[in-house]
Amino acid sequence: MDFFNSMNVSASALSAERTRMNLISSNLANANTTRTPEGGPYKRKDAVFAATPVRNSFDRVLNNAANRDVRQVEVMQIVEDQRPPQLHFDPSHPDANAQGFVAMPNVNVVEEMADMITTTRSYEANVTAIQAAKSMAMKALEISSK
Amino acid sequence: MPIDGIFNTTVELLGKSIDLRTKNQNLISSNIANAETPNYVSKSLAFEDELQGALKGAQKGAPAVTDPRHIPLKGSKERLQSVAGRVVETPAKTPGKDGNAVELENEMTKMTENQIMYNASVQILSKKFAGIRSAITGTGGN
Repeated sequence: MDFFNSMNVSASALSAERTRMNLISSNLANANTTRTPEGGPYKRKDAVFAATPVRNSFDRVLNNAANRDVRQVEVMQIVEDQRPPQLHFDPSHPDANAQGFVAMPNVNVVEEMADMITTTRSYEANVTAIQAAKSMAMKALEISSK
Repeated sequence: MPIDGIFNTTVELLGKSIDLRTKNQNLISSNIANAETPNYVSKSLAFEDELQGALKGAQKGAPAVTDPRHIPLKGSKERLQSVAGRVVETPAKTPGKDGNAVELENEMTKMTENQIMYNASVQILSKKFAGIRSAITGTGGN
């Protein structure tokens, strides 16, 4: 059924946005982390989204002309931000270098907050899309009810 | 009245309209899902003019059955059935730095409009059937 296609697409977006939200939480939580298993300060992480064709068991759906252009979204990659760490002067810090500077994560809290709002709004938009598809499907069931 | 006359093109047209709006909903969902995907351009299904054209053709070109021995030609229905719409790209006027050309506000508006038109088609179709049922039972259709 066509509506499940629409819901699957929106669901893929919900999961992608959720992944991004997890990364933002991780970035915020580690905004002051100077030690990581890989060594050095924490590096900001970001998700790379890509539009992919809808994959489901009904391959014939893909052959349908109008559905060929429907794309779901997937997190293709999680990349580390390559911006240099911020250097803070704090000679008393155990991770300070010889000059007394501590390499702090390249996380900008304000930037993360802005990203978090965009992510929330995108998530909500997709929830609305699912609700719309659901209400349309339910409405179709009313055709012969009265 | 022949049975074909009871259902006529209204049912056919509304059914097609519901079908196409469902497909449009899929495309809009895809746009909303990819509102943050780099290089994604929003798409939508354009079918109004095609449907209108098919309907006009259906009204004008339908061969009349003036004799019981005539075989009715169903050109009109087939013409309506063959309307598939075409997928058009509707890029935002100001694409972002990442090449993404989806305007979320625009998509939400399109989705609401599509949903309302869908509901309208369903409602008219329901009323059409209710009317026929009422004519059959003569009791107002319960």
